[in-house]
Amino acid sequence: MLKRALVLLVCAILLVLSGVVPVIAQDVPQLPADCESVQLEYWNPFTGPDGPFMGQIVDAFNADNPNIQVTMTTQTEYYTQLSTAAASGTLPDVAIVHADQVATQVYRNILRPIDTVIEEAGIAGEDFPEAVWNAGEVNGSRYSIPLDIHPMTMFYNADLFAEAGLEGPPTTAEEFAAAAGALTSGDNNGFMITAGFPIRQIFEMLLYQYGGTSFNEDGTEATWNSEAGVQAAQWLLDAQANYSQPNLEVDAELNSFKGGTVGIIWNGIWQTTNVTGEGVFFNGIATAVPQIGPNPAVWAGSHQLTLPVQGDEDTCRDAAAGIFIRYLLDNSLTWASAGQLPANNVVRESDEFAALQPQSDIAAGSAEYVFFPPSVPGITDAYAPLDEAISALMSGNATDIQAELDNAAERANQILEQNRQTYSEAPSN
Amino acid sequence: MTITAREPIVAVVAGQKKKRLDWVPYLFILPHLIFFVAFAGFPFFLGLVISFFQYDYLRPEANRFVGIQNYTNLFTPGTVENSVFWNALGNTGEFVLMSVPLLIIIPLFLALLLNTNLPGKNLYRAIYFAPWVLSSAVVGLLGFWIFQSQGGLLNYFLRDLGIGTPRWLSSMPWAWFSILITTVWWTSGFNMIIILAALQNIPAALYEAASIDGATWWQRFRYVTIPQLRPVLVFIIIITIIASFNLFAQPFFMTDSGGPAQSGGGGSTEPIMLRIYNESFVRNRMGSGAAMAFVVAVIMMVVSFFNFRLFRSRE
Repeated sequence: MLKRALVLLVCAILLVLSGVVPVIAQDVPQLPADCESVQLEYWNPFTGPDGPFMGQIVDAFNADNPNIQVTMTTQTEYYTQLSTAAASGTLPDVAIVHADQVATQVYRNILRPIDTVIEEAGIAGEDFPEAVWNAGEVNGSRYSIPLDIHPMTMFYNADLFAEAGLEGPPTTAEEFAAAAGALTSGDNNGFMITAGFPIRQIFEMLLYQYGGTSFNEDGTEATWNSEAGVQAAQWLLDAQANYSQPNLEVDAELNSFKGGTVGIIWNGIWQTTNVTGEGVFFNGIATAVPQIGPNPAVWAGSHQLTLPVQGDEDTCRDAAAGIFIRYLLDNSLTWASAGQLPANNVVRESDEFAALQPQSDIAAGSAEYVFFPPSVPGITDAYAPLDEAISALMSGNATDIQAELDNAAERANQILEQNRQTYSEAPSN
Repeated sequence: MTITAREPIVAVVAGQKKKRLDWVPYLFILPHLIFFVAFAGFPFFLGLVISFFQYDYLRPEANRFVGIQNYTNLFTPGTVENSVFWNALGNTGEFVLMSVPLLIIIPLFLALLLNTNLPGKNLYRAIYFAPWVLSSAVVGLLGFWIFQSQGGLLNYFLRDLGIGTPRWLSSMPWAWFSILITTVWWTSGFNMIIILAALQNIPAALYEAASIDGATWWQRFRYVTIPQLRPVLVFIIIITIIASFNLFAQPFFMTDSGGPAQSGGGGSTEPIMLRIYNESFVRNRMGSGAAMAFVVAVIMMVVSFFNFRLFRSRE
């Protein structure tokens, strides 16, 4: 623990010394001449080790822009905080919202459209991968700008790989099976998956790789009970039987991996500092997940920048928010050091990012293949039955894959129908 | 009997004060009344109203009266609410049945032990009471790290001893077992202190008289201690039932919000309070959440009513 804190501290100091260097610096927007000093409130949910990196970017922004001062607040229980702030009319000027939450927060009157603000700030859709950009569009209006992509990532124990005589990380189903098989012996597990988070996300990724989708395009129906869904679940059960252990609880794979007895795990890119580098006693490496099915697809989340609803809208504050958002995108290389992939193509394709490992390796195999659920309000509610179904299958409490997926889809469809009634009124912003 | 004896006194008092409202007693209860109305009475009433609406406080344009729809959903088989609600309520009921006897008997036993002239008994009292001061989140996380299967404290030792290492948190019935042990460890101290205080209030003369009459240890316990403790035990049983009904943090932290998942949906240890929270503040369906809360409240009232009846009839 102390060791990891020390490493983080050293990293932080190095970053401060190297300074925050913007990668792209053309046509930077300016605050209108009649605006004097502007105070902005900026909220985010970065309570982990990534928070200080964001703090650095904000400090650098404040130093560069004497007429705009941004105050950053990091909140836990994030959406509850946003809801209560909305009720009391104290929403911040800029807020981070997860891609799959954008539509819900729009319909709950927390976010407002930002088409004009981003136009003035010089932000355009072609600078982002299509899927992550589309996540910010609800009802034909734009409500959010992608800051980053955090994909499912493969972590492997390079020491065990070397002992087993394996060259590099597997990238195909065949290579994966060979590697996981070779690494499974005695007390060691070649690949470990649990019955808890993020097993549903892993299932979803395989579902897309086998050509399926979680929902139909307009988000009115669950479609995971397809042939692709059965294939994906069967692959997981086979992998569990062949390489892993039955019925593991949440985080068991992380704890075992850190114990040095597991060859490969799949978890979010946010686990990078936890299970690689100084976080482990062996050589832990992060890289892109392999392609198991015929289509490339990678599960991912994305932090998106939004402008919450304000009682008194003010062109100066809006312009300042646009400038700030643009600055965050331009400087997302610093944010990438915290272990996220910049959503902005220009930053992600820069030489500076290419030098950043393992993020650039992961980005190469993931950023273009990410998928997001349809932007309809309450879509995350409809995942709850799938979470339960996959968890029940992986814990051995259910055995009939098709029946379990059908049942989950039926319940999800009821939830989607309820949501259509609940959210039948268009948002007032 | 007592009523007829009191009547004349009431009449005299009423006669003396003639129509003048005596506001002094109301002043005494006023401070509590204000807080009660503001933080319990009014929200209770508002919750009842909300339960008849489709309601989200951030979407006034979408709030509409739906009659008893939120309630009928709970009682109609096949709806999403029906299966998750009754599953979670059943889980909480199971937990109450398992935890309450343990949370009465163990603290009673500890209190009896610590009521003797044990050397260092104050230290033991402090040790047994200590876990109760921890917050539910701390207890939940401690529970997780003790029972988790890969390198958790318990399995680490069991493996060294060569004993089987069950998946404490992801298989049944071990998930309940882990939650129960954690809860008993956490809250026994509080019940113990209350019982201990009551034990110390039992006059020693009663035990002396019983001893002189030749009563054994068990007879003294059965005919002196238990009857003397009855009012306190009633109190403890009622607050323990209510506390167990409010189970939330232990499954939230220990079993990944109520796992292991069952075939057909629903977690095996998902408590009703977590379900109400999810319905109201994750799905933002506050009307439906309020209806669930009211059904639970009615059940609690019925349980408490029978509790009082049961213990009163023995007096």
